[in-house]
Amino acid sequence: MLRIIKPGLQTSIQDSGRPGWMRYGVPGGGAADPVAMSLANVLLENPAAQPCLEIALTGPEIEFDTDLSIAVCGARFALTLNGEEISNDRVIRVNRHDRLQFGALQYGARAYLALAATIDLPSVMGSLSTHLQTCFGGFAGRALKSGDEIPLIAPRTCAPRQLPEHLRLRYTARPQLRVTEGAEAGLFDEREYDRFYTSAFIVSAQSNRMGLRLEGASLNTDGMAQIISSGLCPGTVQVPPNGQPIISFVEGQTIGGYPRLAHVISADQHLLGQLKPRDKVNFLRVSLERSQRILREKTALLAELPW
Amino acid sequence: MTPPFILRQNGDAALDICFDATPGESLSRLIIYLQTALEDAMGSGQWPELRELIPAYQSLTLCYDPLSTEVSGDTSLHNRLCKFVAEILSKDTSEEDSIGRHSAQLIEVPVCYGGAWGPDIGTVCEHTGLSEGDVIKLHSERDYLVHMLGFTPGFLYLGGLIETLHCPRKDRPTLAVPAGSIGIGGTQTGIYPQVTPGGWQIIGRTPLKLFSPEKPSPFIARPLDRVRFVPISAQAFTDWDEPGPRTSPVSGKEND
Repeated sequence: MLRIIKPGLQTSIQDSGRPGWMRYGVPGGGAADPVAMSLANVLLENPAAQPCLEIALTGPEIEFDTDLSIAVCGARFALTLNGEEISNDRVIRVNRHDRLQFGALQYGARAYLALAATIDLPSVMGSLSTHLQTCFGGFAGRALKSGDEIPLIAPRTCAPRQLPEHLRLRYTARPQLRVTEGAEAGLFDEREYDRFYTSAFIVSAQSNRMGLRLEGASLNTDGMAQIISSGLCPGTVQVPPNGQPIISFVEGQTIGGYPRLAHVISADQHLLGQLKPRDKVNFLRVSLERSQRILREKTALLAELPW
Repeated sequence: MTPPFILRQNGDAALDICFDATPGESLSRLIIYLQTALEDAMGSGQWPELRELIPAYQSLTLCYDPLSTEVSGDTSLHNRLCKFVAEILSKDTSEEDSIGRHSAQLIEVPVCYGGAWGPDIGTVCEHTGLSEGDVIKLHSERDYLVHMLGFTPGFLYLGGLIETLHCPRKDRPTLAVPAGSIGIGGTQTGIYPQVTPGGWQIIGRTPLKLFSPEKPSPFIARPLDRVRFVPISAQAFTDWDEPGPRTSPVSGKEND
């Protein structure tokens, strides 16, 4: 069992989410940064999508009541175990009564705490992930609170190891996100279209797992033909009437009616999970062929583990 | 006569099959027919690259795994889908009629109109010039077609709101609309499945739970089902303890 001493801002149980329900309005959900989640799991020889704790912006303090191995990947916090500094991207051995503290956030937005144990909670609609907007799944359908006790079964320890240098991911507060054309890109006035690609946008504090709201250059959609609501996928950049783009995210609505200007490529969507308020993003357009090549390259890179 | 369609790229991991026809019952039936045909094919191991299907008013969105698809060429997903869709749509339309129609259900949604449950019914009366009784009568005397589910888990996109009940949304959305609230927003009517911010005029509330993730079938309705709002008293609302809505098979054909 692990006990939450301090919950942090939004610590929740996540896995790879609930595929197959979008036709009923339920987004896939799951880890906001599935790459970081899978690296943490792979360190412990877990299946890549084994349920983890997703830790956002302000980290928790956690006490363990059993010996086991853990790993933390993704955002970098000042991480201590019983007051001693430890680091991301390696197997960490914890003993009964040890306390893991997530201190100041150094870069990124979300860390993943993987466990060499199975979280013993019921699966809801095929997943343990917490759907934070609709309050179901995970632990009581919500982010963790002080005093919550997460039941674990089959805790084990594993051999010490660390990720190779090229897989120790760092995140910039000024990322460039690669996008392909959105379904309605052609409806935008040329000036508004160009403004999107030549401007930097600030990530708003109103952002969450449903969508990332951007502030900056306003994109005018006045006079554009009315769009009939249709399927909306994570990564899609929509422009509502106020002109401030929204990137649909893992808990995004499945049907949308705002014009879709661009789409963050699948290979870069894990970076959306590492964006925090005040970060600045800009967009680079790539072809569909290129988006697929980048995804193949990134996938191959992640498969290159020495064990 | 089947309407012309195009395939439109929707990001780097989805394609929309878009139909050139007016949204309505016959188009929704065609889209759900196509969705069902694709699901059947997927069920027998075809289209392993497809992950999600999202039906909407004029389109069917297909999310796919970009790693297992060719972007261009004869064997591209785009080309193979074009052929598949054309073939499905060229089939006998009497067969098309049978799909969706047989399994469609009429879902009765109990609603306590007005009062604390429907705080904006007065606004709708003012805008439409109707009495509260007339608003309730007009809203509950016809059946609504479920075009699709989406937006949030369990939300039903309903077609068929009578024009005399059309009413503009609020200038400022309410921060927390209670779950089960029935609203009118512009030309649409619907039920809020969860507590959310919302801009629709709230005219009533249902004691039904629209989304029950722990149940084997978490939703009260599917596309092509019909919804009928049944007025109930405040007492009946408070006492409501039925586990789900009353349903019956839809019979007969209705117009758009």
